[in-house]
Amino acid sequence: MESNTIKDILASCLSLLLFPGGLFVLLTGLFYEWVDRKFLAQLQNRIGPRWFQPVADVIKLLAKEEVVPEGVDARLFIGLPIFALAGGLTAALYVPFAGLSPITSFPGDLIVTIYLLSMLTLCLGLAGANTLDRFSLVGATRTLTQLFSYEAPFLLALLGPAFAAGSWEIREIASFAEGRWLLFTQPIGFLVAIIGLMGKLELPPLDAPEAETEIVAGALTEYSGRGLALFRLSKGVTLIIGLTLIASFYLAGVANPYLFFIKTLALLLILVVLQALFARLRIDQSVGLWWRYGTILVLIQWLGMIIWRGVTV
Amino acid sequence: MHSDKTLESFTVPIGPQHPALKEPEHFLITVDGEIVTKAVVRLGYAHRGVEKATESRNWVQNLYLLERICGICSHIHATAYCLGVEQLAAVEVPPRAQAIRVLVAEMERIHSHLLWLGVAAHEAGFDTLFMYSWRDRETIMDLLESLSGNRVNYSVNVLGGVKIDIDDDLAQLILDGIHYLEERTHHYLDVVTSDAMFLQRTRGIGVMNRSQAEVLGTVGPTARASNVARDIRVEAPYGAYANYPVWITLDERGDLEARFVVRIKELFESFRIIREIVKTLPPGDLTTRIPRRIKAGETVSRVEAPRGELFYFIKSNGTDIPERIKVRTPTICNMMSVVKLAIGHQLADVPMIVVGIDPCFSCNDRMVLIDHGRNKQSGWTWEALRRYGIEYYQGHPR
Repeated sequence: MESNTIKDILASCLSLLLFPGGLFVLLTGLFYEWVDRKFLAQLQNRIGPRWFQPVADVIKLLAKEEVVPEGVDARLFIGLPIFALAGGLTAALYVPFAGLSPITSFPGDLIVTIYLLSMLTLCLGLAGANTLDRFSLVGATRTLTQLFSYEAPFLLALLGPAFAAGSWEIREIASFAEGRWLLFTQPIGFLVAIIGLMGKLELPPLDAPEAETEIVAGALTEYSGRGLALFRLSKGVTLIIGLTLIASFYLAGVANPYLFFIKTLALLLILVVLQALFARLRIDQSVGLWWRYGTILVLIQWLGMIIWRGVTV
Repeated sequence: MHSDKTLESFTVPIGPQHPALKEPEHFLITVDGEIVTKAVVRLGYAHRGVEKATESRNWVQNLYLLERICGICSHIHATAYCLGVEQLAAVEVPPRAQAIRVLVAEMERIHSHLLWLGVAAHEAGFDTLFMYSWRDRETIMDLLESLSGNRVNYSVNVLGGVKIDIDDDLAQLILDGIHYLEERTHHYLDVVTSDAMFLQRTRGIGVMNRSQAEVLGTVGPTARASNVARDIRVEAPYGAYANYPVWITLDERGDLEARFVVRIKELFESFRIIREIVKTLPPGDLTTRIPRRIKAGETVSRVEAPRGELFYFIKSNGTDIPERIKVRTPTICNMMSVVKLAIGHQLADVPMIVVGIDPCFSCNDRMVLIDHGRNKQSGWTWEALRRYGIEYYQGHPR
């Protein structure tokens, strides 16, 4: 009895910290970041980084001194990257990561997961607003503006499969979507979810919040060393969780690790192609894109789904 | 970095060190939210004292110094200087040398405009176009290298002629390269005029109408994109341009898109001229003798650099060292338009508007001393200037 409890605790720790949660999520996030960079480089006629570059970057940043600038709340400055990463890693517990069943699950965890994913953006916004740097302040304003524009359509797009499955629990939606290509029945939702993920990660063309040629690095301008490393790690984690959610909802499930990697990597390649194709949108243009097209289209799809359900039931 | 957050104004400094700028320059942008309400430019971060330095070097040495004013359009600086000095010395340059000068000048224009296309695309966040245009720019860089041995600072000119010749192999190489570039340029013209996302960043942004362009004194492609017919190659053909006339490229829209279109269309004009020159290169000598001491006198030499009119004033006192050389580069003429056009646009458009004039900051930095009250003219020695510079920066800690 006693030893079984200890075993359970050990097993939980293992799955939280090493596999499939924790370290494994971090490393996969870094690997996906490399795929992103390398493939983008290939599309742009460049060579791109070597496979260990993201890992090397993170190790280097972790080893560097973290400069806390004058005029900031030091606790917030140090704490925010930790919160961002913690949010992402917690979200990883609820998704069918690496094709395994989620570590933990409860009804309505889809909403919790989506809000945990938003932790990154919120922390970025706060981190920017916390400093006195003018580039950071403009970046923070843009980050939060972008959050308000993509969040609603992104949520609605992920709720589409939930509506079809009749559940708000990721495990159940995923098993419902198993073998069903919702991509073809809800194409708008799929598209909006993908672009919403790009907005969340501030990838081109939705990278106005960190537009290098205008505001240097946006909200993260003052970050160096450990804080920057943690923010980058949490971006990787967010990327991989977002890909997992979209793949398991829209691409007929990720029942085993093999399918998981094939499908999420295929999704990532779509993201990369979109990144290579477009020029950066100004912040007003991306807000307009979301509210004028994204939200309306998703709502139209929702209306269609509701009418369809009314007709068929 | 200090912050001056007040309710009325929020200023964003672009530069002197900023990823959007390839050279140091300071733009102080006052914004209301994202809208620019005021823009101030401060020049002078890369003043190198080239003009003063010319006064202690002889005519030949100055050629190599002046070539280094601009890393991108080095040849046109040397050409402007050579034309001026040759005029003072009343020397006629052989036609073959004149044609080769124009040939290299047009190749330099291609390399400069392609470079600009990439930089401008990067400012718009369109890195794919940036990488592709710079890859294709390598073609012209390779051609310049096989022509002169150097990718930049080709140093083709000498006083009284040129030092490179073009044989049949080189001619064929140039024609092949131009053929490839022309195909690619058609593609780029297509991209900048039809890519919907890119057009959102260029169409209707930074519009400068014709009268504004004239009042602000803009030159070069920036002026031509506002339908101002200003092109020294057309107005006052110098060198071999008299034999190879240029058709001026104009656009009446005056926005950023027009500046893209004008520069890309100018490439076709350059391709045409290069082809013509390569096919009809006059035979003859490459250089003519020029005296070591230049006759006393002064002259003005104007040429069309890739960025616009480049102006040289040269004064000789009859020795082997010039008395005064004054250089005015096109960026300084176009700079005021940036400050003017940025107002009312979004902060995100400012780097695009800055890059729209194809700025070359370190070329334009001059020292001007305004001495109010005293109506007295005086010259500065090199030593006094140096001391003044040291004292200035001690009094103005940065």
